[in-house]
Amino acid sequence: MFSYYLKLGWLSIHRNPLLSSLMIAAIAVGIGASMTTITVNYTMSSNPIPQKSDQLFYVQLDNWDPNDKREGGFEPPDQMTYLDAMALMKAHKAYRQVASNRSGLVLEPAGEDARPFSVTARNTWADFFPMFDLPFLYGSGWDDAADRNLEKVVVLSKETNERVFGGENSVGRSVRFNGIDFTVVGVLDKYYPVPKFYDVTTGAFDEPEEVYIPFNVALEYKLPRNGNTSCWKKPDGDGLDAFLNSECIWIQFWAQLRNKKEKQEYMDFLNAYVGQQKRLGRFPRPMDNRLSNVMEWMENQKVVDDDARVLLGLSLLFLVVCLLNTIGLLLAKFLGKSTDSSLRRALGASRANLFAQHMVEAGLIGLGGGILGLGLSWLGLQGIKALFGDIVVYLIQLDWVMVLTAIGLAIVSALLAGLYPTWRACRIAPASQLKIQ
Amino acid sequence: MLSLQNISMVYRAGLVETHALRDFSLEVDEGDFVSVTGPSGSGKTTFLNITGLLERFTDGRYFLDGRDVSKLSDAEASAVRNQKIGFIFQSFNLIPDLNLFDNVDVPLRYRGFSAAERKRRIERMLEMVGLASRMKHLPSQLSGGQQQRVAIARALAGEPRFLLADEPTGNLDSHMALSVMELLAEINRNGTTIIMVTHDPALAVMASRNVHILDGRVSDPETDTQLAAAASA
Amino acid sequence: MEFGPIWRAMMRNKTGAVLIALQIAVTMAIMVNAISIMQERARLMARPSGIDEHNIFTISSIGFAADFNERVTIEEDLAALRSMPGVVDAIQTNAVPLADSGWSMELQTEPGAEIDATSVAVYFVDEHGLNTFGVHLLAGENFKASDVNWREGSDTQWPNKILITRAMAATLFPDDPDSALGKTVYINDDEPMTVTGIIEQMQAPWSTWKAVERVMLVPSHTLFKGTRYVIRTEPGMRDQLMPKVEALLAERNKSRIVRSMRTMDEIRERSYLTDASMIKILTFTIILLTAVTALGIVGLASFSVNRRTRQIGTRRALGATRTAILRYFMTENLMISIVGVVLGAALTAALNMFMIETFSLTRIAWYLLPVAMLVLLGVGQLAVLGPARKASRVPPAVATRTV
Repeated sequence: MFSYYLKLGWLSIHRNPLLSSLMIAAIAVGIGASMTTITVNYTMSSNPIPQKSDQLFYVQLDNWDPNDKREGGFEPPDQMTYLDAMALMKAHKAYRQVASNRSGLVLEPAGEDARPFSVTARNTWADFFPMFDLPFLYGSGWDDAADRNLEKVVVLSKETNERVFGGENSVGRSVRFNGIDFTVVGVLDKYYPVPKFYDVTTGAFDEPEEVYIPFNVALEYKLPRNGNTSCWKKPDGDGLDAFLNSECIWIQFWAQLRNKKEKQEYMDFLNAYVGQQKRLGRFPRPMDNRLSNVMEWMENQKVVDDDARVLLGLSLLFLVVCLLNTIGLLLAKFLGKSTDSSLRRALGASRANLFAQHMVEAGLIGLGGGILGLGLSWLGLQGIKALFGDIVVYLIQLDWVMVLTAIGLAIVSALLAGLYPTWRACRIAPASQLKIQ
Repeated sequence: MLSLQNISMVYRAGLVETHALRDFSLEVDEGDFVSVTGPSGSGKTTFLNITGLLERFTDGRYFLDGRDVSKLSDAEASAVRNQKIGFIFQSFNLIPDLNLFDNVDVPLRYRGFSAAERKRRIERMLEMVGLASRMKHLPSQLSGGQQQRVAIARALAGEPRFLLADEPTGNLDSHMALSVMELLAEINRNGTTIIMVTHDPALAVMASRNVHILDGRVSDPETDTQLAAAASA
Repeated sequence: MEFGPIWRAMMRNKTGAVLIALQIAVTMAIMVNAISIMQERARLMARPSGIDEHNIFTISSIGFAADFNERVTIEEDLAALRSMPGVVDAIQTNAVPLADSGWSMELQTEPGAEIDATSVAVYFVDEHGLNTFGVHLLAGENFKASDVNWREGSDTQWPNKILITRAMAATLFPDDPDSALGKTVYINDDEPMTVTGIIEQMQAPWSTWKAVERVMLVPSHTLFKGTRYVIRTEPGMRDQLMPKVEALLAERNKSRIVRSMRTMDEIRERSYLTDASMIKILTFTIILLTAVTALGIVGLASFSVNRRTRQIGTRRALGATRTAILRYFMTENLMISIVGVVLGAALTAALNMFMIETFSLTRIAWYLLPVAMLVLLGVGQLAVLGPARKASRVPPAVATRTV
C-alpha cells in the first residue's frame, strides 16, 4: 500500500510541476537557512574530545579580590596563579594534571639566508600530550624527567615541521628559538580541535600552537608570555620573582580524573590546599573551588557566540514562515484535485486511505525540499566562509549528522504542514465533486 | 422596450467558426412574459448572454429602452446590467459565504444607494419572497426553492426593466418548481417584464409568448416540433 | 466599499486569510528585530576611535637574539622613523584602539583597598604620543621628554603623571569632569598619579568593552622584548611609506623580527568583522523573507481567486465593473494585511523582549513598527495585484455556464 501511495504521490507531483516546484522551493529555502545556522551552532558547540571529555576537568581556585562584587555573588577567575599551579603540579594528586600558558617565540632556522620568523608556542608539562590525546606523526611528547631536569626539548606541529624540515622525521634534530637550541622530541600530526578547549581565554576557535616547550624551561630562560594576565593586587616588589609570587593569574590548569571517586578526592584535596593557604593570609573570598569538565567549561566560557544563537532563532522563525507558505500551497493543491479524492471515496477508499495518500505526498515534497535545502545550506555555509574568512574554515563541516538532520527536519516540517490540508481533503464527501448530468 | 435586430454571433477557435446565432431578431414590450425555447446547442445560452449584455455579439443591433446598447464599453455594460436587468440563474449563483441579506445587497452596492435605502429594498424584497425571517441565514441552510427565491429577490431589488431567467426551475423538484413559477407569474402580473429561457415546454406555456430557437435562428415552433417528432420516430 | 460583506464572507472561509495574516505577522517580527540588530551594529561600527585612522599604521618588532639590546633598538628605530620624509610622527607602544589585545588597569579617586575602582585601558607612550595618534588635548599639557621612563616587563611602579580621556574623567568625577585636571587618582589601590591633561576622545583596544571610551596615556617606554610601532603619515602617503618602513626596520637590526604590519583601517575592519558580517547576513535574510512572503501571498491569493470564479462572474453579471472586482480583492487583502501587521506588531514586541532578556539586545526604535507595518501592507497589496487583476478579467458570461 505504501508503495502505491508513493506512486500516486509521484504522479501527483508530476502532474502539476509549477505548484510542486513552488512547494519544494518554499521548504528548501526554509531548510537552507535553518541548516546553515544549525550547522554553525552545532560545530561551535561540538565536543572536541568526546572520548574523554568527562574525565578532563578545568580547575578554578578563587583567589580573587573580596572587594570586587558582581551581581549574583563572586565568580572564581578563569586562570590560575603561578604559586597555586606549581603547588598543584607538585602535589600530583590527580591521575594526570597540566599547567600551561601561551607564548610566542622566534624560530631561527639554520642557514645563512634563512630568515627568522615568529611562531605561537605553548609552555606546558609532559602530561599535556597523553591527557589531550594529541596525535603524533613522529616521536612523542617528553616525560616527567625532562620537566624536572629542564631539558630543552620541543614538540613541533605538522606545519612547522614542514616549514623547517620539509616534513621529514626531525626527531633528534635541533631548532633554535630566541637564541636557544632545543631538541625535537616529537612532531604532531594534523591537529585542530574545535573549539581549542584547553585554552579559550585567547580565542576559542584559533589554530592550536605551532610549538610546545616545557613550562619550567620557558621560565628559566625568561622566554615571553603571551596570553591574558590579570592582577587584582600589585605584586610585592619589582622583578620576575615578585611577579611569580603574586596573585596575578595567567595559567590554565587541567586535571584528568577518571571517575567520580577521583573527582571527589581531588576536590577534597583542593579544599584542603586552599584552607591551608587561607591560614597563610591568602584567598580572602569564601572558598569556591571548581572542577568543570570540558563541555561544562565551554558552556561557562560562552564559547557559542550569541550572534550564532540569534541567527539560529531567526532562521527557525524563517522556517515557520516557509511552512505557513507550504500549508497554503498544499491546501491549494489538495483541494484543487478534490474530484480525484471524491472519486476515490466513491470507489471505496476510506478516510484513512486518503489521509495516508495525502500525507505520503506531503512527505515526498518534504524529501524533495530537504535535498534541495541541503544544497542551499551548503551554499549558505560557503557564504559564511566568504564573510568570515579563514577564521571559520574548520567551523563549517556538513557531516552525516547534519545531512540526516536536514532531510529529517524537512520531512517532519512538510508532514506537519500537510496535516491541515490533508484533513480538509479527507472531509470531501464521496462523489460530491462529481457532476452527474 | 427591448429590441434585438438581426443579431449574429460567431465564435472563432483557430480555423473553426461556430455560428451560435444567425440573423436573430426579437421584440419585447413592457409587461411581456416571453419564453425562449430550443434544444441544447441551439444557441439559447448565447441568446441569454447577449440579451443580458454578458457578451458582445458579432453583428446586428440591440436597443434597450430606446438606447443602442450594441457596443458599450465594459463599464457602461456593467451599469446597464446593474440598473436595467435582473438575472435569475439555473444554479441560483448565490454567494455561499454571504448571508441572505448580503446576497441581495450585492447589486445594490454597485448602484451606489445609501445604507438606509439598501436596507429598505432588501427587507422589502425578502419579505415579498417570504424569507425575511431568515435574513441572516446562509444559502447552504436553504432548500433549492428557497435559494431561487432569494435570487429572485436579488434580481428585483434594483427595480430592473426586465428579468432574464435561465432555466429558473432546472435544479428544482416539481413542487418547488411550481412555487417559483407561481412567484414569477405574480411578478409579471405586477408589471415586470420577464424573458425566460428554458428547454421545458411545460414551463414555456406559462409565458404569454414563445420564441423558439433552432440552429441559431428563430424558428416556427409548430414546424420544428413536428420535425423533431418525425426524427425520433 | 462593501467592508462589512467582505469581512463577513472572509470570516466564513478563514483559512486562506489566516495563513496570509500569520505569514505577514511572523515576517514582520523577524524583519523588525533583524533591522534593529543591524541598526545597533551599524551604530557600533560608526563610532570613531578618536585617532587619525586613515593615516596610521602599526608594525610589530620582536627581539629574539641573545645580543638584542631593546633600549638602543627602540631609540634608534624611533629616530629613523621620525626623520623619514612623509612621516608626521612615530611612537613605540603596547596597543592601539580596536586591535583586541592590550592592557587594562583600575583607577580610583580615593586610596584604599575597599574603594570601588574604575577600569581603564592603558597605552604606554612618550611625548610624541598625542601627535602620533592624532588625539586632541582638551585641557592641561602633554608629557615632556623628562616625564618618560623605561619600564621592564616585571616592573610594577607607575609614573606619577597621566593623561586621561574626558569619558574617564566623567566616570571618575561625574559631577564635574573638567575638574579632573590636576586631581590625584590612585592605581593599585594606593599609588597616586596626577591627571596632567584631558584628551577629547580615544577608544580602548576592545570594541565590545563597556569601558571602551575610558583610556589613560602613561609616559613610559616599554622593554617587553616585543613592541609595536605606531606611525602616522602625511595624508595620502601611507601606502607608499609602509613597505619602506618595513624594509628600513628589517635592515637596521637583525636581532629582531618585524611582522604584522597593518593599517588602522585594516584593524578596524577586523575588529568589526562579525558585526559587518551580521549586517550582511541579516540584509540577505530580510530580502529573502520578503520574497518568500510575497510569493506566498501571490500563491494563496491566486488559489482563493480561482475558487471564486463563479462568484466573480455572478458579480459581474449583477453589475460589477472590472475595477469593482479589482477593488474587492485589493480591499479583502488589505483587511487581511491589517490583521497581519497588528498581530505582527504584538509578535515583534514579544520577540524583542525575549531577545533583550536572552541575548541582551537593544530595544527596537519605536518608529520601526509603523514603518514596517506600512511596508508590509504595501508588499501585500503589490503581491495581490496580479491575482486581483486576473480576477477582474473573469468574463461575466461565466455566470451562465452550467458546469
